[in-house]
Amino acid sequence: MARRLDLALKHAPLRAPAPLFERPRAARGVLDSQTGFMRALGVVAVLFLAVLPFIDASRYTMSIAISALIYVMLCMGLNVVVGYAGLLDLGYIAFFAVGAYVSGIFTTVLGWPMWAALPATVFACILAGIIIGAPTLRLRSDYLAIVTLGFGEIIRITANNLTITGGPSGIHGIPSWDFFGWSFEDGVTVLGLEFPERVVFYYFVAAVVVVVGVIGAGRLARGKLGRAWKAVRDDEDAAEAMGINTYAAKISAYIIGAVWAGLAGQLMATHLSAISPNSFQFLYSALILMAVVLGGMGSTPGVIIGALFVSLAPELLRDFAEWRFLIFGVLLVVVMLFRPAGLWPATAILPWLKRDRPQPPPFTSATAAVPPSVLESPSGAPDADVREGGRG
Amino acid sequence: MSALLEVKDLRLQFGGVKAVDGLSFEVREGEILAVIGPNGAGKTSAFNCISAFYLPTSGSVVFDGKHIVREAPRIWHRLRLVQLLQSFGFYRVLPSRVTKWGMARTFQNLRLFRELSVLDNVKTAMHANLREGFWSTLLHTPGYRRAEEACAREARGWLDFVGFEGDEHLYVTHLPYGEQRRVEIARALATSPKLLLLDEPAAGLNYNEKQSLIELIRRIRALGVAVVLIEHDMGLVMQLAERIVVLNYGKEIADGTPQQITNDPVVIEAYLGVDDEDEAVDDTRLRTGASDAEPNDESESRS
Repeated sequence: MARRLDLALKHAPLRAPAPLFERPRAARGVLDSQTGFMRALGVVAVLFLAVLPFIDASRYTMSIAISALIYVMLCMGLNVVVGYAGLLDLGYIAFFAVGAYVSGIFTTVLGWPMWAALPATVFACILAGIIIGAPTLRLRSDYLAIVTLGFGEIIRITANNLTITGGPSGIHGIPSWDFFGWSFEDGVTVLGLEFPERVVFYYFVAAVVVVVGVIGAGRLARGKLGRAWKAVRDDEDAAEAMGINTYAAKISAYIIGAVWAGLAGQLMATHLSAISPNSFQFLYSALILMAVVLGGMGSTPGVIIGALFVSLAPELLRDFAEWRFLIFGVLLVVVMLFRPAGLWPATAILPWLKRDRPQPPPFTSATAAVPPSVLESPSGAPDADVREGGRG
Repeated sequence: MSALLEVKDLRLQFGGVKAVDGLSFEVREGEILAVIGPNGAGKTSAFNCISAFYLPTSGSVVFDGKHIVREAPRIWHRLRLVQLLQSFGFYRVLPSRVTKWGMARTFQNLRLFRELSVLDNVKTAMHANLREGFWSTLLHTPGYRRAEEACAREARGWLDFVGFEGDEHLYVTHLPYGEQRRVEIARALATSPKLLLLDEPAAGLNYNEKQSLIELIRRIRALGVAVVLIEHDMGLVMQLAERIVVLNYGKEIADGTPQQITNDPVVIEAYLGVDDEDEAVDDTRLRTGASDAEPNDESESRS
């Protein structure tokens, strides 16, 4: 067993002595462990996604659901860049635009089927991530934000002025998915339910892509790469001293964020079948960033909640169209006052498990402004019995 | 015994200030070396040069037969592109590469990853030794699971080795200061080093914690790891070090066993000063380099 584990590590001159203590195994079960509960929550969410068209398959509902899914995909991508790697990106919509335009150009101008345009989109996004990331990731925090803001605008203005992108009017008539002659346009009857609209099929494609995207981003965050991202976010120099090539870690976060956004862009291009530079304004970069910050940076459930809020709130606030952004702003301020680390912070512990584990640390960037007495909760310090209990 | 780390004529200038000025010393395999000196003597700057965080103005650092300082061709110097190229990782060795070669370090003020748990902090240091790729992480292949399991086992082994007895799932900010120091040493050990640089490991520790630190450093040496420590606590240095290098004004002023160092008049003068100028033992050994810094010195050494 130990030998098998040793093979999993590369050759290293120094190996740790075997652990002295047998630690208790992590709790299993839905309610008594954090991971178990999260997994159950994920299963419920996937089931809900699968069942939704059978409850309400109207064109309106499906359309809103697809745009919500696209927002979730975008926010998961930005969460990798901002939440895990700590790189403030104000021009994230640029990658969304690259994905949408590349798939649009490949299917309309070159006449490729949509599934064949997919690898081209991914490749273009990787390239865009490297082109934008390589020169800018040497910068830190504020400077990086300004430069990414500039790149976001450059992509939009370029799309506005090129002929291949259709100029200000954009690209029209982007085809939907089709498989060997059968297109989503045709409609089909499953289990006695009729799905005449292409939008319903499209919903399932979007749901599968987004579920894979969410699970994939979560898995990456828990592995070696994710730990490197978080280390870079918390302390870049210390991460470098621990043998992490911080530049490679940052650029990989950037590329993965770009690919996620590009896939979301392709979903949107096929969903709306028309794209124009107006869909890629700075406002949308800010909205996605707002969703990530509002939900909780680096937290998958938080980011999904934030994305759903940002995409569904305009529908709910349809009656106050002009007041929408005012209400958004006020809500954001209120949420940030009461929950500075977001609605569902990455360090959150389920309330019924809090007894066993101490509180998460106060949110670092907010601590400077708030007196420590406010942040220190009475149960903040680890109790002696808890720490002994951890040894088992 | 062969030298594990050889520092020769190391110089580091910030504008007109010579932080390190012609420092030369060597570390042999498996020894405990202490670097001492008054505040501002250039100890931490020298550490940063050795671990490749700072690019020295001149000099050479050879670790385990590999050069940490790399010379750029003259053409780049002439075009004044050296700094730009170095910022992109050319003609320099990144600190992460030096760590992979087997040199680990801790920091003067604790620099743990605040929003990671104790266990994740130590796991992070095993980055370079883990066989985990992008696809195996995405698909959770058996190889990935094995690597994660081995990583956790190894990290727990190091936490036990340094005597951390708390809950490994705690965020590091919740630990008392002494425990955080232990975790930082465990994190440095998890990179599987041949040489461990400790920058003031005893700062802020109480008597008992210092005693267990001494015992811990001896156990690290017993693993075959050479330890270099910067320390102000003379009691600790005298108990622990086999050899001491004394710095002042960026220069080495003495090198020897603890007994030799305590009796060296130059060292005593550097630490305590002298009443009368006539009594100064070897003033030139102390002060050259601090006073004769010329404004165009820096550009000369670069071109």
